[in-house]
Amino acid sequence: MGKMQRRTRLRLLGLGILGLAATVLAGPANAAKDVLVIDLVQEPSSLDPHVQWNPDSYFVYRNIFDNMLTRDNDGKIVPQVAAAWRQVDDSTTEFTLRGDIKFHDGSALTADDVVFSVKRITDAAFKSPQRDQFNKIVDATAVSPTVVRLKTEGPYPVLLAQLTKLSIVPKAYVTQVGNERFNQAPLGSGPYKFISIQRGVKTTLARNDAYWGDKGLFATAEFHAVPDPATRVADLRSGKADLIVTINADIADELKKDGKVKVLSVLSERVAYFHLNSLAGPTKDLKVRRAIAHAIDRQGIIDGLMHGYDKPATIMLAPVHVGYVEGFKGHAYDPAKAKALLKEAGITPQTPFTLFTAPTFDQRVVQAIQQMLIDVGINATITTSDFAGWLKRAQSSPAEFGEMTFSRWSCGCQDADGVLFPLYHSSSQWAKSNDPAMDKELEAARASLDPAVRLAHYRRVHEIAEATVPLVPLYQVAILYGARKELRWTPTPNESFFINRVGWQD
Amino acid sequence: MGRFLLKRLVQSAIAILGTVTLIFFIQRLAGDPTLLMLPEGATREDIEILRHQLGFDRPLIVQYLEYIAQLAHFDLGQSLVQRVPVADIIAARLPYTLCLAAGALLVAVGVGLPAGILMAVRRGSALERALMALVLVGQSMPTFWSGILLIMLFAVTLGIMPSSGVDGVRSVVLPAIALGALTMATYARVARTAVLEELERDYVSTARAKGLSFRRVVTRHILRNAATPIITISALEIANLLAGAVIVETVFAWPGLGQLAVQSIAARDFPIVQAIVLLSAFVSIALNLVADLLYSVVDPRIRLEGRA
Repeated sequence: MGKMQRRTRLRLLGLGILGLAATVLAGPANAAKDVLVIDLVQEPSSLDPHVQWNPDSYFVYRNIFDNMLTRDNDGKIVPQVAAAWRQVDDSTTEFTLRGDIKFHDGSALTADDVVFSVKRITDAAFKSPQRDQFNKIVDATAVSPTVVRLKTEGPYPVLLAQLTKLSIVPKAYVTQVGNERFNQAPLGSGPYKFISIQRGVKTTLARNDAYWGDKGLFATAEFHAVPDPATRVADLRSGKADLIVTINADIADELKKDGKVKVLSVLSERVAYFHLNSLAGPTKDLKVRRAIAHAIDRQGIIDGLMHGYDKPATIMLAPVHVGYVEGFKGHAYDPAKAKALLKEAGITPQTPFTLFTAPTFDQRVVQAIQQMLIDVGINATITTSDFAGWLKRAQSSPAEFGEMTFSRWSCGCQDADGVLFPLYHSSSQWAKSNDPAMDKELEAARASLDPAVRLAHYRRVHEIAEATVPLVPLYQVAILYGARKELRWTPTPNESFFINRVGWQD
Repeated sequence: MGRFLLKRLVQSAIAILGTVTLIFFIQRLAGDPTLLMLPEGATREDIEILRHQLGFDRPLIVQYLEYIAQLAHFDLGQSLVQRVPVADIIAARLPYTLCLAAGALLVAVGVGLPAGILMAVRRGSALERALMALVLVGQSMPTFWSGILLIMLFAVTLGIMPSSGVDGVRSVVLPAIALGALTMATYARVARTAVLEELERDYVSTARAKGLSFRRVVTRHILRNAATPIITISALEIANLLAGAVIVETVFAWPGLGQLAVQSIAARDFPIVQAIVLLSAFVSIALNLVADLLYSVVDPRIRLEGRA
């Protein structure tokens, strides 16, 4: 009996010590989590912030580098490296930098680094795929160590929006080690420092304790490359990952059944649309384009396939875009009207229509649209190629384009210019319409720095688009993430990820 | 033997050059990666500038000759997307693929061979039917499905195995089983057939008549004679394991060459795809050569000079 008691006591003591140790090790409740693990689809293709353009890369490197400007969680453009800015004249903007930013090697971030970054990314020989976003900047000069002037090719209202994507790299380090070494061992000034990359497995970052702004909660962050969505879900549910990207509505519903995880969603600045060829084939007839617009049941697609996460769109912009105008009704779902219009246009079931697509796009949506078109009497055939082939065809001449395609567009700049100019202006290889009145409005909106003037021009653009149907806006795309219950994070419409905005609540 | 090797060497060189040439042109038939690299809305001018800087606006034959010249200097070039030397990327991924293939081969040979032999010597028994069921399952389950099932069971439900990635030796177990299953089935079937064939030969009756135990007949005589077809499929199956790894590596987020190949093909990262194809060609040719050499070791009746 005495022996039993002693044993019980010992056991209790052991448990007590364990409990104590757990408390001590865990520390305050919100700091218990040391390593944050994020499952991306692929590894970052590079960590040099200037040499690629894909989400798997900028999810990672935007934590290593500071951007010239950034957006807060509400989408407002706010200071980051630049603390303030003013317009010197129509084509010159002067930026005053924070004087207190240090790169991870301790050196100060100065105007020279900003000028170097701008010149590096806009130099054609450097082959940056992002050059297009910054090539309106024709000159950058350092006025003083904390003042930079950027000169643009004429007035450029989208400059600030583009600068939220310009990572500032250290001139001294890059020139000393060279581009290749910099790519493999990137060094920035951001809230996290690069530690290592294990090819095909993970990229590890550590908190920058000397960061000038909000410091991250987690000492370490790991970005894993997990290409299969089912495996990302398994990682999340087994506790291996804390946050997973790129899941669809079906997976989201499955996650909701598991009490340990949750779904985070945001209506992004990405808009899905059905592009029609206004310059060749049967869709050249406005009646046919209007018929197609009336034949598509947006709400049906959203309810049936997207489980209600996405939101119907009546214009080719989301409410988060500069240039968004409320009140446009679009073309209501009306199969009877569609049939009548097709009859007027002389379309028969023998008239062939080509709907070209790629596996990158949700094929359930593409097939649903095809069925809706068939239902009103449009003989739509789907042809599929890989994504590179799709890109080529979508930007080909009207004669090679075919009749229609489904796509989703985001400029990552939350400005109408980055969406409507390439899709509607006749000079763009994306546009499959040619309307001088439309061109005029788009050019005028691009040339003005006055928000009210720009909005007036974009209102006209939306009116013309509604009347001429160069494309059918479908829905604002919801981006879905899976997360552990304890994770606190507000996803933003521009599909960005900053570790120092992530919280944890046990 | 010397003449045989020399002839095979020349044949191999031609085969490799042909493969490399084929893959070079096939990839380029479908276009180049310029459009994939640019953000939405890039202008025509920007596309042309990038294409020119990448060198894809030059005649194909010029690009090809440059590539061959590079190869002759053992230079695999630089990844278009990652901007890192291809040799570095391949060197980082190769060990993972080899490790996975070795694990899968262990599963395949370790389970498949004994199962096949048992099925042959215990023909018609309940054991044979049970093993046949195992073989059928291994053969008919596609890896993208069996892989997910294994993950759901062992990582999510039971929580005893890592769900993906590379965390020590435990990480290779599930992908090796998923990848090895199909090869295991092949080994079992081939071993069964080969042993059954040998069982009917006269020398088996003779050996039994001499008083040798059945176990000794199987281990000392039959297996040795049944080895030739097994060696043949080994060369094919090891190459298959490397190819089948494409799906398993994607499902298990295993950082091998298979996953890299899929991603590089989708991204049109030509130099990486070319390097992987080159490597695969080398491996296939080397494996077949090893198999041919092994034939003469296990069966002295086969003379390599005669075959060449």
